[in-house]
Amino acid sequence: MSAVVAKVRKPLIEGYKTYHDITEDICSPTEKVPNIWWIVGMVASLSLLAFGGFCLLYTIWFGIGTWNLNRTIGWGWDITNFVWWIGIGHAGTLISAILLLFRQKWRTGVNRAAEAMTIFAVICAAMFPGIHTGRPWFDWFMFPYPNTRGPLWVNFNSPLLWDLFAISTYFTVSLLFWYTGLVPDLATLRDRSTGMRKKIYNFFSFGWTGAAKHWQRWESLSLILAGLATPLVLSVHTIVSFDFATSVIPGWHTTIFPPYFVAGAIFSGFAMVLTLMLITRKVLKLEEYITLEHIESMNKIILLTGTIVGVAYLTELFIAWYSGYVYEQFAFYNRALGPYWWSYFAMMSCNVLSPQFFWFKKIRRSIVWTFVLSIVVNIGMWFERFVIIATTLARDYLPSSWSYYSPTWVEVGVYILTFGLFMTLFLIFCRVAPVIAVAEVKSILKSSGDQYVGPNAKEHHHDDHHQDETIAAKVDDVAEDTTYSSSSGVSAETDTQTETEEVVVAPPSAKDDLKKVEGIGPKIEGLLNDAGIYTWRQLANTKVEFIKEVLDKAGPRYRIHDPGTWPKQAEMAADGLWDELKKWQDELDGGK
Amino acid sequence: MNNNFTFTGSQRTLTFALMAIGLLALLFGVFTSPEGTHQARVWSNILHNTAFFMGIAFISTFLIACKISAYSGWHTNFKRILEAFSMFLPIGLLLVLIIVAGLWTGSHHLYHWAADGITDPNSANYDSIIDGKSKLLNPIMYTVGTLGIIGLWTFFAFKFRSLSVSEDKDDHGVGKHEGSSYWRSSKVWAAIFLPVGGFLSPFVILWLIMSIDSHWYSTMFFWYTSASWLVTAVAFTILFIIYLKSLGHLQQVSDEHLHDLGKYLFGFSVFWTYLWFSQFMLIWYANVGEETIYFHTRTRQFPVLFYGNLIMNFALPFLILVANSTKRMYGIMTFMAVLLIFGHWIDFFQMIKPGVYEGLHHHSHDHGDGHGSIIDLDGKPVNVSKYQKDGEPVLVQNDHGHDHKDGKTHNHDHDHGDGKAHNHDHGDGHHHAGDGHDHEGKDAHGHDHGAHDAHGKDKGHDHGHGEHAAHGHDDGHHGGGHGDHGAGGFEMGYHLPGFIEIGMFLGFLGLFLYVVFTALSRASLIPVNDTYHDESTHHHV
Repeated sequence: MSAVVAKVRKPLIEGYKTYHDITEDICSPTEKVPNIWWIVGMVASLSLLAFGGFCLLYTIWFGIGTWNLNRTIGWGWDITNFVWWIGIGHAGTLISAILLLFRQKWRTGVNRAAEAMTIFAVICAAMFPGIHTGRPWFDWFMFPYPNTRGPLWVNFNSPLLWDLFAISTYFTVSLLFWYTGLVPDLATLRDRSTGMRKKIYNFFSFGWTGAAKHWQRWESLSLILAGLATPLVLSVHTIVSFDFATSVIPGWHTTIFPPYFVAGAIFSGFAMVLTLMLITRKVLKLEEYITLEHIESMNKIILLTGTIVGVAYLTELFIAWYSGYVYEQFAFYNRALGPYWWSYFAMMSCNVLSPQFFWFKKIRRSIVWTFVLSIVVNIGMWFERFVIIATTLARDYLPSSWSYYSPTWVEVGVYILTFGLFMTLFLIFCRVAPVIAVAEVKSILKSSGDQYVGPNAKEHHHDDHHQDETIAAKVDDVAEDTTYSSSSGVSAETDTQTETEEVVVAPPSAKDDLKKVEGIGPKIEGLLNDAGIYTWRQLANTKVEFIKEVLDKAGPRYRIHDPGTWPKQAEMAADGLWDELKKWQDELDGGK
Repeated sequence: MNNNFTFTGSQRTLTFALMAIGLLALLFGVFTSPEGTHQARVWSNILHNTAFFMGIAFISTFLIACKISAYSGWHTNFKRILEAFSMFLPIGLLLVLIIVAGLWTGSHHLYHWAADGITDPNSANYDSIIDGKSKLLNPIMYTVGTLGIIGLWTFFAFKFRSLSVSEDKDDHGVGKHEGSSYWRSSKVWAAIFLPVGGFLSPFVILWLIMSIDSHWYSTMFFWYTSASWLVTAVAFTILFIIYLKSLGHLQQVSDEHLHDLGKYLFGFSVFWTYLWFSQFMLIWYANVGEETIYFHTRTRQFPVLFYGNLIMNFALPFLILVANSTKRMYGIMTFMAVLLIFGHWIDFFQMIKPGVYEGLHHHSHDHGDGHGSIIDLDGKPVNVSKYQKDGEPVLVQNDHGHDHKDGKTHNHDHDHGDGKAHNHDHGDGHHHAGDGHDHEGKDAHGHDHGAHDAHGKDKGHDHGHGEHAAHGHDDGHHGGGHGDHGAGGFEMGYHLPGFIEIGMFLGFLGLFLYVVFTALSRASLIPVNDTYHDESTHHHV
């Protein structure tokens, strides 16, 4: 990672965060009682899951006949949903693997959630082939293995079978990647917890101590998995595109399918990441970690991939004309002007036209626009698969069998099941693991924190030469910091260490570093300074009520802090009783 | 540290020498060209090299726009090299103008769609499929389209270049959070260029290259071609960095930059292979006769090009560049860059030459063969399913049971009624021969060495289908009198690049180097006022 940061780069972590603030802000949602929005979300998800589960049972009990599939259109919502979910999963791997290889720092804000989304989306997708058999107790027919079925092997010539291999490989690697990233963070959670909770996290963090060797192995493993995951992202959706390009109807295909499906998958995946993270950052108050910069970057990717998909759509149409091949021409005529013209229209407007709004910076940085468009994009990407399947099948070579298809409530219900499942899993994930990769965000703090880069950076960092050295030194400290944190099991100690360095960096001045007091960060220090409190002695002589008033006035973000011990701590600092203060701080947790 | 490159006399001599070689090769080609070929060999060489080098310039411009849009910082210290490549675009425009002039004057017959009477229903030459494309494939659209689009690209290339160079003399943006006005302006132009390049490049590729095989089409072809340019541009960048460093320039470009460019070379080679495979796989699997004929021709008649392409552009770079250490070794990187430049030049060779070769034979043996008939590997015309014969679709079907087995079907049409189709069914033997690829590849290696006496041996390799192979070769289709080859005819300049091709390549290379050196000498090599300059200097440090 480059230690020198170009001036034009915007900060990716706001709010003058220290390492401790990062741990605190990201881990605390898993340690508190869930707020009302989480409970509302969970109830809603479980309701969807229950209704969908009923529809699934209904399907299995009465058979696939409860769906509206017919002889002509043998694939309907099921494979549409399947591919849609697979596509959504792609953003996770792109963010975690490809952006890691490209050293994109903004990935750290969203990679954890996106990777989790990948896992959950693939789980949702994987259900459909099983459901589509209609008799799930025969699902083992899908797997090739030496058997007594004699010549009844799976069809190795079929891309549908390749899909089984591709997706199971993809799922495995994505899961490993996600879990590898989680290990240090689970260790952080372990170190912050007690009792049964500690035992559980201890088990899942694999005895991570944060030793240098651990970090070294962790980094090489991440890179190896990234190297494996990158071709897998391509292969999975390539094979999904083969499903359509080779199997929908004989004689019809377009060769551009593989790369454009990959682009489309990333397109829909990013849209889903945005839909989820815009809510998550609000509910869990993570706006300073998932900043407008992150949102804008993702919107640019949506614009890019949406336009790539647009080029592909137009190329297909154009080549259908150019080829002079009547079957190809007929397929595309049907899409645009056939009985399913409305779905083609929906696909074109949602996937090609709607992302074009993101040419405007104002819209790229608008939460409301982004949220609405992210949903529009995913509607469009659903329609893309529907268009490819239903319109192509509806008008095959035999006009007497032409047909039209619309789903029954049962099919819709099975789709809803996956929403319920996806949301339930995601909400559980938010409770048990940090939704942002703590260690990875820390690794970019010194090069992307707003106290180091950007217009609000602290004055003393503007001296370029000086900046080079300090930042280079500090980047190295990042790993060390977390190492201490995990090995000692007491995060407070680490933070004191880090903040001691702050003093070294800070220019000598008349005022004391109030951040020495456990619970005071740079922002609160600023508030206290504004209130006329500059030294430890002053703070020691201030009444707790007064500090509370200052915090209350500053808004809800600060109201949660409990300054009860601050004057006492400040007194110790002012008296130079560092050892005692440190010992006491070890017992305190976040100043509470 | 020397920040300015001077285009020295010896470099000038080198580029002029290369250009002279090219000119000699061209003249030699013109004077030795067989009668009735309309100088197809020389013209196709001009087209081949024009497409290749113009494309490098285009993709470099595109890469510049990508880098600006993506806030890429690491490449800044060698961005002048990419800019210098992009400066070849106006020359590319002139070269395309030559091809356009040849098209209008009828000097070359590279494009079958430009043949006389091809869109005239009353002509014996009439071809309904080409007629259907004639709104796009006609000299006017070709001229306006190619020149207009490449002209537009040239404008953007100059825009990026001038914004970048102007910044050298004006440091008002250094150390500013909002960057310089040049940088901000180039971001806007880059954002506009991305869709311009992305949407328009397919047309240029279609006119210049894909329309040579006038019947054939593939939606993937445009991205595939662009990927080939991309690898080549990265390879040239690596060569220039290594060369300039050897002259003592570009000291701020480190092993880290080279390593990352090596990753690009590896990654884009794999990407190219991915696109190659996707296109091949889908065409092979779908088995639509109109499309498979393209690969059928290449695997059977041009096996050295077909497999050589994959070996040079996938197997070797994959195996050699996959290791970390090789990407930091100057010798290996130089070798790989040279290999991939040549490899992708061969890739364009195999995109262009087989179609030209067929067109040539098509024209010279036009005795009642229907349009749409294609020379089979024995030099026999095989009528590819003429589903559109009377404006009425005829279902594509496989007439030959054994064809189903290996999926290498060509749909032979038994309808003699139109007086166009000549069905030479004894050509079928070759449809069995899906398992014979390797052997045919080896056979053709024999041809490399001009071993025309090895025919008997060729047949021996033919997996027991020798009796089928023996049916062929009786039409004397192949000019030059060597019509009797196991894997089709061989003609230097089409099946393999000969001295004329290599010579002309060197000539174009000389021209390209001349333009690049000139552009490099006109601005400082390191853009010190660039907002990312420090970042690039400290790349990975």
